Amino acid sequence: MAQTIDMKQMEQKLQRADRKQSRLYLFCNFTAVMIISAYSALMFSPTVQTVFPEGGDSRKQMYMIFVLTLVGCVVFTIYALGLFFRHKSGQLGILMALGASRRRLAPGLFREVFVLSGASAVIGIIAGFPFVWIVWNGFRLILVDSSDMILSFDFKCLFVSLAFLLMVVGFACLTAWRYLKKTNIMEVIREEHINEPIKELGKWCGPVGAVVILIGAVMGYGAPFVCHRWFHTFPPSWLGVLYTPVFVGLYMVMLHTVVHGWKRHKKNPYKNIISRSMMKFQGKQTVNNLLIITLLIAGGCFAIFYLPSMTVSAMIRYADQSYDYFYKYRADQNIPGREEIEALGSKYQLSFKDWGECEYITLGIGGNTEIYDDGGKRYHIEYVPMLVETKILSEDAYYMITGEKVDVKSGTYLNLTNQEESSSYTNKSARELTNMVTREQIDTTFAGYLHYDLLTDDVGCCVLDNDDYAKISEGLTDDWKGRMVWFNVDGKDSYQFANAFYDLYVDSFDERCEHPSFYDRVTKIRENEAGETYWGDTERMTKISYEQSDSFDFRQFWAYQPDFRILSQNDFLRNVAVLCMMFLFIFIVCLLTALVVCYTRCQTIVLNNRYVFDDLKKLGASPDFLSREVRSQCHNIFKVPTIIGMTGMYLFYTMIMYANDGRLLSAEWLALLVDLTILAAIGAAVYAVYRASVATLKRQLGI
Amino acid sequence: MLYVKDLHKSYEVGKTKYPVLKGIDFHVAQGEFVAVMGPSGSGKTTLLNCISCYIPFDKGSITVGGIKLAGQNEETLARVRNTKLGFVFQDFMLLDGLTIRENILVPRIVQGEVGQEAEQLTDKLAAMFGIEHILNKYPAEISGGEKQRTAVARSLINNPLIILADEPTGNLDSKSSRTVIEAFGNAKAQMNATIFMVTHDSFAASFCDRVILLKDGNIYRQLEKNGSRSEFQDELLDVIKEMSE
Repeated sequence: MAQTIDMKQMEQKLQRADRKQSRLYLFCNFTAVMIISAYSALMFSPTVQTVFPEGGDSRKQMYMIFVLTLVGCVVFTIYALGLFFRHKSGQLGILMALGASRRRLAPGLFREVFVLSGASAVIGIIAGFPFVWIVWNGFRLILVDSSDMILSFDFKCLFVSLAFLLMVVGFACLTAWRYLKKTNIMEVIREEHINEPIKELGKWCGPVGAVVILIGAVMGYGAPFVCHRWFHTFPPSWLGVLYTPVFVGLYMVMLHTVVHGWKRHKKNPYKNIISRSMMKFQGKQTVNNLLIITLLIAGGCFAIFYLPSMTVSAMIRYADQSYDYFYKYRADQNIPGREEIEALGSKYQLSFKDWGECEYITLGIGGNTEIYDDGGKRYHIEYVPMLVETKILSEDAYYMITGEKVDVKSGTYLNLTNQEESSSYTNKSARELTNMVTREQIDTTFAGYLHYDLLTDDVGCCVLDNDDYAKISEGLTDDWKGRMVWFNVDGKDSYQFANAFYDLYVDSFDERCEHPSFYDRVTKIRENEAGETYWGDTERMTKISYEQSDSFDFRQFWAYQPDFRILSQNDFLRNVAVLCMMFLFIFIVCLLTALVVCYTRCQTIVLNNRYVFDDLKKLGASPDFLSREVRSQCHNIFKVPTIIGMTGMYLFYTMIMYANDGRLLSAEWLALLVDLTILAAIGAAVYAVYRASVATLKRQLGI
Repeated sequence: MLYVKDLHKSYEVGKTKYPVLKGIDFHVAQGEFVAVMGPSGSGKTTLLNCISCYIPFDKGSITVGGIKLAGQNEETLARVRNTKLGFVFQDFMLLDGLTIRENILVPRIVQGEVGQEAEQLTDKLAAMFGIEHILNKYPAEISGGEKQRTAVARSLINNPLIILADEPTGNLDSKSSRTVIEAFGNAKAQMNATIFMVTHDSFAASFCDRVILLKDGNIYRQLEKNGSRSEFQDELLDVIKEMSE
């Protein structure tokens, strides 16, 4: 006599028999939750939060891709849940047909989905932390390390992960309840075999979709410019809605891919007919999956493109720098002189040449600026005398630095900009310059640009006629005067020397200079005199400290940060490490998620359509034919979203770069070239996973 | 035993309503073996699904063992399915993760009453239908005929008032079909089982006491077997031919 079993034991036995489905569901849930947990852990970590400027583009970009990944993971978990229940419904239906009531089935079913979804989500959340720790410290070990990169967690991130966990478990229980509520038992039984064909649209659908994507991208990106430039208002956040056509267009393109495909089959209309039909009859799921994969790949590209666009221009600038060492300091600071520096250099067997020094002064300069009204929503342009600080050089000083003789007419000024005139710190509207000690003013007008990259920093720089310079600088105290120093190394430079000199240089400044370059003394005086508090004296101002002179913030923002070529070149990646590594991490996460979704989608070909392949075998289909059908389906799943995601984002990025100043600078061309190389690498990675997936599927189908 | 009165059922696709059953009336007596035949779309399976309480019906009444199905709550309908009805499906509907013995016992497991008596009944049914040697195997390891005989055994495990069979020979070869039909015959002879079977197969139907022929949602004719099985099959074929003209 066999051992009798009860309902609970029977359910457990059935669950054991379904372990393949359960494993797939666990894997999908676990991956999605782990990715969200890892992403939010890194995003909310103090390491990242302190480096990403508040309200800056990079932070917005990080949040935007997070939302994209979150949406992708939500849709993916719902899809995985759907797969699980499609299979489970057969079992539920049979038990219902044989007289099991909802009340009888509910405890077992809820227990199963609760345990599966809950356990996978909890393990996913926990695994997110070691995952991010391993990847991050892998970066530190292999790529770059700095004091900024020490990883710490703010467990605030757990709120996001827990919300996601609740959503996963909630959705699972809701779906279980929905199945139990069904009154048509035959529907429940047949659920696994029910197709989800989509409404067929004409062949215009794909091409029109592509145009709609373009329109959405142009509208979404262009609208803020229109608001700003034409209507002088700040673009409201809802303006992002204008990107909606991008998603509609994407849906149309994917629909076309699934329903018609992009190849013409005029010569051989039956080619890959099996795989095309299979895709069509699971159309809803397939289109959703293709959309998610496309968005994730586009998100990944958006993140990784940040790296070349940030690094290439800096690298070019360092390489083109006119002097090995160039720095400036206020005259009231006790900075090491030539003898001291040469003595330090001799310790590293270095001698110097082309030594030069000159004086500069800091004045208040007037200019047009945006004055906010209507609670900051709108603005108008108004001229403000004593608007901001500017560094002033005489004609002679400029000649000493650059070797270029200029003749500035009295009563005018020439504004410094970089070679490509892309500097943001130019001022064409000044009418007067103000000595901030004596309050003497001289009238002036803009007379054109001078081009010299080393003099184009965060504070504007102008060149005046020698006599005007002498006149306006009378009575200035040392805190409004400064010196610029430059020299080259005779022979090969030493990084150790540069480092030692940098430390010596920073140590010689006092606390009066411990501020970022955008701390503007002229604005402070003007606002204080008007009875207002200067924002630079509030908590909103970025704080920098000599104690952390090798941190990203310090090197990026310090007002007197020197340009030491060898130090900049070697430490660039270290200085921007957190930014770069965060974006690299986002890229890895997006690509990984996209590949997991691709792989899972391919797995469903086996799970849902095994019988089709078995029937084809019985009908005499050759292994070659079956392989082609498998490849054809996987091909569409991997190829179409990858091409659309990569191409779309490449074009979008090009558009962003172009829209910055209505042209593409040489550094931007180079960055776009590097982006192409990255795309080739992504393509290769996707292709490798595609090959692996096809091989796995063929093995599972016994082809 | 089973009374069906003025049964109406329609399906809605979008805004269009398609009537499938247009007022069906019949009854099945205890120990009777009744088949329902008819062309595709005549409403056979819909009729069976309504009697099985798998789908709700629009109008009319179905009474099984004195219980009117209309207006009953889900819990009562489940109890009716479990205790009053036995089911045999075209594609067997065995649970892959359970052994043949466990599959036969599923209605009892659902009921929560698996004891010595149920185990003995399982052995008895397995012997009756010639599947005692596969009781510890899994569905994937046995033939289609064996699967269907397992399903017949499962349908009898709760001593139901009536067995409802939907195309039970539809997926089987002729030899297996005969075995399954003979299994129904055994159930009727040895357990006085009442069987209500939907089929396309005139050979299977010729084993029945009575055949209800459906056409376009109405009863076209009811035939009773008076002579031999082969004569009854010939008569059935003639009426089917007449229906299609």
